[in-house]
Amino acid sequence: MSPGGRVSDEISSDDAGASDSPGAAAATSDAPLLVCRAITKRFGGSVALDRVDFDIATGEVHGLVGSNGAGKSTLMKVLAGAMPDYEGQISLNDAPVALSSPAAAGRLGIAMVHQELSGVGQLSVAENLFLGRQPTTRLGRINWRRMNTEARRQLAELDIDVDVTARLDTYPLVVRQMVEIARGLHSGARLLILDEPTSALSPPETRRLLELIGRLSRRGVACVFISHFIEDVLEVCDRVTVLRDGRVVETRATSEVDKHELVHTMLGHGLDGEEVGYETAAQLPPRHGEPPILVARNLARPREFTDVDLEVAPGECLCLYGFMGAGHQALAHTLAAANRPSSGKVTLDGSQRGLATPRQAIRRGVVLVTADRAQSVFARAAVYQNVTLAHLRATVGNWLTRRRERRVAAPAIQRVGCRPRDPDLPAGSLSGGNQQKVVMARWLLGPMRVLVLEEPTRGMDVGAKEEVMQLVHEAQAAGAAVILATTEPELALAHADRILVMRRGRITHEFCGESVDKPTLMAHAG
Amino acid sequence: MDVARNPETSPARRAWWRRISAQDVAPLASLAVIALFFALTSNSFLTPATIVHVLKQGAVLAIVSSGLTFVLLTAEIDLSVGTVALWSACFCGWLFEIGFGLAAPDAAPSGGMVAAVIALPIASAVAIGILSGVLTVWSRLPSFIITLAMMNIANGLARYLTRSEALEVPHLLKTIGNGGIDLTPRIMVPYSAMLALVVLVVGHVVLVHTRFGRYVYMVGGNREAARLAGVRTGLVVAVCLAISALTASVGGLVEAGRLNAATLDQNADLLLEAVACVVLGGTSLFGGEGSMSRTAIGVLTFVVLKVGLNQVGWVNDFARQLLMGGVLMTALVVNGLLAKRGK
Repeated sequence: MSPGGRVSDEISSDDAGASDSPGAAAATSDAPLLVCRAITKRFGGSVALDRVDFDIATGEVHGLVGSNGAGKSTLMKVLAGAMPDYEGQISLNDAPVALSSPAAAGRLGIAMVHQELSGVGQLSVAENLFLGRQPTTRLGRINWRRMNTEARRQLAELDIDVDVTARLDTYPLVVRQMVEIARGLHSGARLLILDEPTSALSPPETRRLLELIGRLSRRGVACVFISHFIEDVLEVCDRVTVLRDGRVVETRATSEVDKHELVHTMLGHGLDGEEVGYETAAQLPPRHGEPPILVARNLARPREFTDVDLEVAPGECLCLYGFMGAGHQALAHTLAAANRPSSGKVTLDGSQRGLATPRQAIRRGVVLVTADRAQSVFARAAVYQNVTLAHLRATVGNWLTRRRERRVAAPAIQRVGCRPRDPDLPAGSLSGGNQQKVVMARWLLGPMRVLVLEEPTRGMDVGAKEEVMQLVHEAQAAGAAVILATTEPELALAHADRILVMRRGRITHEFCGESVDKPTLMAHAG
Repeated sequence: MDVARNPETSPARRAWWRRISAQDVAPLASLAVIALFFALTSNSFLTPATIVHVLKQGAVLAIVSSGLTFVLLTAEIDLSVGTVALWSACFCGWLFEIGFGLAAPDAAPSGGMVAAVIALPIASAVAIGILSGVLTVWSRLPSFIITLAMMNIANGLARYLTRSEALEVPHLLKTIGNGGIDLTPRIMVPYSAMLALVVLVVGHVVLVHTRFGRYVYMVGGNREAARLAGVRTGLVVAVCLAISALTASVGGLVEAGRLNAATLDQNADLLLEAVACVVLGGTSLFGGEGSMSRTAIGVLTFVVLKVGLNQVGWVNDFARQLLMGGVLMTALVVNGLLAKRGK
């Protein structure tokens, strides 16, 4: 085969497409580009999407909001072709289509920009842009000059100002995201699916990205914009669809709604959660008088955080708040000795000896609950084995039997309210919230003096979230110091006694004994 | 799915057989099918002589596979088992014939000396295993690479020491390799098979009833989670490689005894056969899943297949290996598919 010929064909057709599209749809037109009718998706017995109707017009930016577990990501995966076994009809430009695989969706002009970027950091910007379809010379070698000029031209068209020969990982996240978007467009996408594109970005970066989306829309590219950040949705989207429990609650023009209303619709009515309402302020209690139990001095890890000094007292909940990538999550891991600081020390009870390994930390009662359950749960092992693992010697002893272990694990499993209660089930068969309860049960078997939590409720529904945070409260009430690292301001406001805001690896502000609301908190983080 | 429908099922009352899956039964089923096939097609298969032969042939494999099971459970691999076995046998022969000079007709080897001749090779193998383990953990290279190098080192050591000569081994090893207890005049239970049984049982007990055994599974199942739960994952991996070297060494000595001498051509296929046995039993190459009983079933399946194919007259000598590979492949794929469905 001759890769050279084929690739150049593809590029020239892309060129044509790129120059056509601005003329073809100068602004949002009313003709729907993509129409979904009665999309249903089941996982075993549970329904993730229930007869969802969704449509998007050429050049429209359509927001998709809903709390965790509402079905946003399922719908997005259906659109991206990653879940071929959906029920219902999807048509593109009035022609029915089958989104049977990501490749099929790609051929139809649907491209997905993931929350976790898939670009290759070690390659140049241009190489990333042309990943898998580099232009070649007649001899089959990569035509660097052509690739770089093309890349420069395409990025300039989108007003993205970067050096295309520099390695991608030398650029901030927003640029990587923009390159990913450009790559999608370059492959002929007419519909972009953006999954939480602004969640990891600082406010100026967010602005840059939203401006790019606006430009794309004017050129006729439709975008599905999935986000937790309501302000961003209201700013950039033409219409917004609210999902709740797998159903569409409503689709409205963003000019007709305000964020208060939208949040209300998202959460549903009569929900008596502990979560602080959108604009509500939280009153932080005055500073604890007790001496600190855990003290960190001068802590640093390259490219994660620097100059961190903090202390936390027994019975206190210290919250580390920041945007994704602010360094507070890595800091949580370091405080629990899960990774080593390049400088500085974490000490316990004023002793000089620092914590060096998770093993030492656990013995002295410093335990970590990670956001990623894959880092803490043994999916194939039984629940009871997951619970006993960290304190086998102290609780079960030298001779392990199923019966003895289950006897040890049972009270802890019961206390955390893990469902289903069968301790023989593989832990991987439980839901995320219940897996997190299993991790809590594990730590309940030993001393729990400092409980470090990194985004403990990520991806959970409201109910599971509350149950997990209830367990945290119980530990706190029993005298444990709690360190809660989170990117969710709601979580911070609802649970913190004191909030440290982090930005780009540094602690930038401390909220203590005052009233603080979400905009203030976010303003300090960005 | 059962549980989702009925979450209040009392778990304590769930009978043991309800916890058995297709994945557990498949290896046993393949063993049964293969054994039945040979029993029907060959009239010499179900004879005492053949059974004794299977036990003898299986003993060395079982010993070596049991140690290898530990390594595979941690999601590592030990490529040096074959040559470590070879090295142990050769070192033993060298000590016996040259080092202590016990092979001479007039020599009267004392018990202590024989013990040393057997213990030193085992100790040296364990040292090799610990070295592999420490290097694997410390260098953060895959054990595949480290033990690949160690495979060559052990082979080189054996070559250097023996200068390609056949060496005499202690009488005790010959007895273990060939002797046994006569149940009836025609059925003998070989000592080597008894030793293998002991090794398997000890391995089973360690895996199921000790903390170390639990750590082995957890390190293989999710190493990062094990580390964050306070398990010294490096130590566990290193100890598993040491255990593997230990059993490889014991296997090598028994094999040398069975063949009445230590020579360089021994144990050439041992590595691949042992890996095949462990995997045939249903232990995952990716760690965290498997057991000693599965390894025992895997060894039996493999040896029955090997011995059976040697017996049936209609298999051409030259086609035997091809057929062996084909049957092995089928069994592995069927087991693998069943395991996948079981999840």
